Amino acid sequence: MSNETVSLLIIFLFIISATIIGLIPGMKKKMNLEEWAVGGRNFGRWLNWFILAGEIYTAFAFLGASGWAYSRGGPTFYILGYGALAYIIGYYLLPKISPIGRKYGLMTQPDLIEHIYKSKSLSLFAAIIGVAFLLPYLQLQLTGLGIIIETCSYGQLGRTPAMLIAFVLVASFVYLSGLKGVASTAVLKDILLMIAVVFFGLYLPIHHFGSLGGMFEAIETAKPGFLALPGGTKNFDVSWVMSTLVVTSLGFYMWPHFTTNSFSARNPDVLRHNAVYLPLYQICLLFPMLVGFAALLLLPTVLKTPDMAFMAVVQAYFPGWTLGLVGGAGALACMIPAADLLLSTSMLFTRNIYSKTFGKNTPPDKLIHVVRLVLLGLTSVALCLAIYLPNMLVNLLLTGYSGVTQFFPLIVLGLYWKKATRLGAFSGLLVGEILVFALILGKLDPLPFAGMNLNAGFVALICNFVVFVIVSLVTSKEVSTATETKEKNIVSNI
Amino acid sequence: MSTLKLILTLIPFVWTIGMVPFANKVYPIVFGLPFLAFWFVAGIFLAFICLYIIYYIDSRLKQDV
Repeated sequence: MSNETVSLLIIFLFIISATIIGLIPGMKKKMNLEEWAVGGRNFGRWLNWFILAGEIYTAFAFLGASGWAYSRGGPTFYILGYGALAYIIGYYLLPKISPIGRKYGLMTQPDLIEHIYKSKSLSLFAAIIGVAFLLPYLQLQLTGLGIIIETCSYGQLGRTPAMLIAFVLVASFVYLSGLKGVASTAVLKDILLMIAVVFFGLYLPIHHFGSLGGMFEAIETAKPGFLALPGGTKNFDVSWVMSTLVVTSLGFYMWPHFTTNSFSARNPDVLRHNAVYLPLYQICLLFPMLVGFAALLLLPTVLKTPDMAFMAVVQAYFPGWTLGLVGGAGALACMIPAADLLLSTSMLFTRNIYSKTFGKNTPPDKLIHVVRLVLLGLTSVALCLAIYLPNMLVNLLLTGYSGVTQFFPLIVLGLYWKKATRLGAFSGLLVGEILVFALILGKLDPLPFAGMNLNAGFVALICNFVVFVIVSLVTSKEVSTATETKEKNIVSNI
Repeated sequence: MSTLKLILTLIPFVWTIGMVPFANKVYPIVFGLPFLAFWFVAGIFLAFICLYIIYYIDSRLKQDV
């Protein structure tokens, strides 16, 4: 059999078996909307750990990090920094959010915002923004799967047909199973990808350059300064990395799908326990970068799509079946997070946009059909974005981060600061999102400011925060009466 | 929040974000990594240690109650 037949065959075998495993819990009984999305709210410690981890190790970590290492060099290292910081924030934030979710039957991030601010319009606004910025994340997963299929076909399939195949695979995978299916397949994918990435990350540098240090010395000789900031870029300098670390570490738990997952944890201690050990898992992000750096020295020609670096170097130095195994595990690393993202995005759309506006009187059992329809719609939009507005995987994630980080003042100050008001939250969020759109569409990301290059999301976040605090202070009279009535209610409940 | 917990919370942020200007160099290569990469990896371990102590303090508090 030829190399491309072997590698594509292995990939499809992986995907089909994962879909079958995913199908089993779904076959047992018909699930209602809540069970389908939040897994019935009773995941234990270990299963929950795998769901959280499975989501973090996505196409971004595996292909995006190696692609950036290959083409950008030093700035890639920011990826090592933000996760651990985010878990510290999560340690305090998630145990606070989770009990509220259980107590009031909340399922999504806009539900939480509606609960905090008692405002339906603010929650609707947040839902629209959430859906908008989950789309580049979804595009990232689809593009990743497209890249894997393209490389594994050894040039037999072009980008567009590869993307179409990716689309069909993702849509049917999600359409057929829910979150519980995702959890059981995440275990399989985590183990496989971990072995593959660690092996290549160590084998390639040691086999070809004697040691990791040897490889980095060779890069420094060939391209002086590539491994520091701004590396292979013009403006991703020290200030960009610092501002990006702020945006990404604060934005990490602001992704709407993370809120849904923290509602599925059985008790707050599970979330605290996860937060303590998850930083160590971040070390694994180093290995795909090592593969990217090795690819820089080992590949004879410059890749047109740098995100192909990982797959291309495996293709050049290993037989077809090895590429197939990596491709298969990688395909799952794209599909499982895509499934989870799609589920959360369609939940947001159905529950917080559709049910609150034009579909007000839809009965709950009919709603699951709407969810499935929305799933197809969203995947199609992501497919169109991937074909017509292609971008590097890391850039796609950074765009999403700039958008969702704007929820941080709203949710955190809403939970911890008594003077936060509805109007403050609304104006802060509006200012932040307008700035993100304007700066990114105006090609001003990063924004040159006083000799620095600041991440657009960071600039927007600062303005968002300032507006939020000022407007809240001006309008806080309204809220002090609101908290009084809240306290009265609590007293009367007792 | 106690002062100790506050300091433990802030240390990883200062290390990983605040110190980037001082860590932005290729040499010395530590554990086979360019210095900047080594700095971030060390930050991961530091975050784990700080969180572990915070978690320990919190579970002790719970038992006392």
